[in-house]
Amino acid sequence: MAETTEPLLSITGLRSAYGPIEVLHGIDLTVREGEIVSLVGANGAGKTTLMRCISGVQPIKAGAIRLAGEDIARRPDHARASLGIAHSPEGRQIFGDLSVSENLALGGYHRRDALGPDMEEVYRLFPILRDKSALPAGGLSGGQQQMLAIGRAIMGRPRLLLLDEPSMGLAPVLVDQVFAVVKSLRDRGVTLLMVEQNAYAALSIADRGYVMEQGEITLSGLASELIADPRIREAYLGA
Amino acid sequence: MSELLQFLISGITVGAIYAAIALGFTLIYNASGVVNFAQGEFVVIGGMTAAALIGAGVPVWIAAPLAVIAGMLVGVLLYRLAIRPAGQAPLVSLIIITIGASIFLRGAMQAVFDKQIHRYDGFSGDAPLRVGGATILPQSLWIIGGSVAVFAFLAWFLNRTRAGRGIRATASNRMAAALVGINTGRAMNLSFALSAAIGALAGVLATPVTFTSYDVGVLMALKGFSATMLGGVGSPLGALAGGLLIGLIEALTAGYISSDYKDASAFIVILLVLFLRPQGLFGARIMERV
Repeated sequence: MAETTEPLLSITGLRSAYGPIEVLHGIDLTVREGEIVSLVGANGAGKTTLMRCISGVQPIKAGAIRLAGEDIARRPDHARASLGIAHSPEGRQIFGDLSVSENLALGGYHRRDALGPDMEEVYRLFPILRDKSALPAGGLSGGQQQMLAIGRAIMGRPRLLLLDEPSMGLAPVLVDQVFAVVKSLRDRGVTLLMVEQNAYAALSIADRGYVMEQGEITLSGLASELIADPRIREAYLGA
Repeated sequence: MSELLQFLISGITVGAIYAAIALGFTLIYNASGVVNFAQGEFVVIGGMTAAALIGAGVPVWIAAPLAVIAGMLVGVLLYRLAIRPAGQAPLVSLIIITIGASIFLRGAMQAVFDKQIHRYDGFSGDAPLRVGGATILPQSLWIIGGSVAVFAFLAWFLNRTRAGRGIRATASNRMAAALVGINTGRAMNLSFALSAAIGALAGVLATPVTFTSYDVGVLMALKGFSATMLGGVGSPLGALAGGLLIGLIEALTAGYISSDYKDASAFIVILLVLFLRPQGLFGARIMERV
């Protein structure tokens, strides 16, 4: 198969469990180069678990995860960053006792080139982080920590950026700012897979979407079709 | 005046030993959040190994590095055989494992070495040097220099090297560290190895002055841990300052009041500091918003 038609991320038959309890029952999902794909669904549907499987911090029981054709399912978690996957996790998971600038620099831990220009870019996207750059990250407000988690993921200069609930805990004006950043990242060639509670906002900037329920993909399609789908409107868009 | 100077010299010497032990605590704490109560045992492994080798006729400049390497290997084994298999166990369990390891190592040293008290000659002889009416052993200068060197190395290593930043990130948030590409298992392994090496080095340097035997590790760990608490857990500067301070308090109490009270006075100061400034002298007040 030619390089250009190979999807950037291709997941087939993915199963994962916490102890004896299986939470992902065979997920199939693809993300093509340059796309924004949104994953929507209720709490406990397995969206976060799926994201963690992709970045490697959650073990999988079966299935394949291919990045540009290469099966990475057996690669250890710390090897995935240098393969081009960055993950802004649910709950932010910042380094609370390290400074804001140290947090950002750690986002580029696997890189051997100079981090300065990208750090400058993150400060341009989120100017508040520049003002707080020397302060411990644990002292930031929830919204600022969310920006830091996204900024840290950007610092990895990923091919595939996983964003888990990027708008969680943000004031509405900041939600708009974060979604504007997401769109600008795509314009710069980053491919995005995004989990969102805010299904309408997530689908309105996405190219395609997947709906997850109880560990399975129940619906997928173009984002514009999903927004118009009466089942989605009723279940997730409150219409 | 010369009396005071003498007390200060002995306080700084002992304090430098505590500081080196505290730096070992600091390193493992920085990587894992674990307080390693087997830290004192590494001091003994260093001292006893050096004593055994020197007793067997090995020159000190070969015996000393070998003793440090021996400590480092035991540190790696402690991590691989006792800490890592515990996996994601809660911190309290890991700390209890280190207490168990400390008891085991004490027993093992009785068997491998013996129950005697050991010492060997100072690296630069045992003839005291005169300093303004007081005397200082050349070995004291080795101890002080060694502790300062360990401090400088750690401050540089944790802040300026890739591996050191990986250790700090691993301690701060292990999952996030893995997500940004840090091999957290290797960071833990490295911190146990270095920490054990630092403890063994303290033992190698201190034994000509303090003597050693299989069971002195408990008190060493207690004093080193106190120094860590006093200075602020996790801060290399705090470990150095805390160690020196405890050494000085002990020496001045022993000199001017009574050596019966020297341990008590050190612990009273620690209690006061912890009441008034719980994060220690140099510890950052950590806030975590949720």
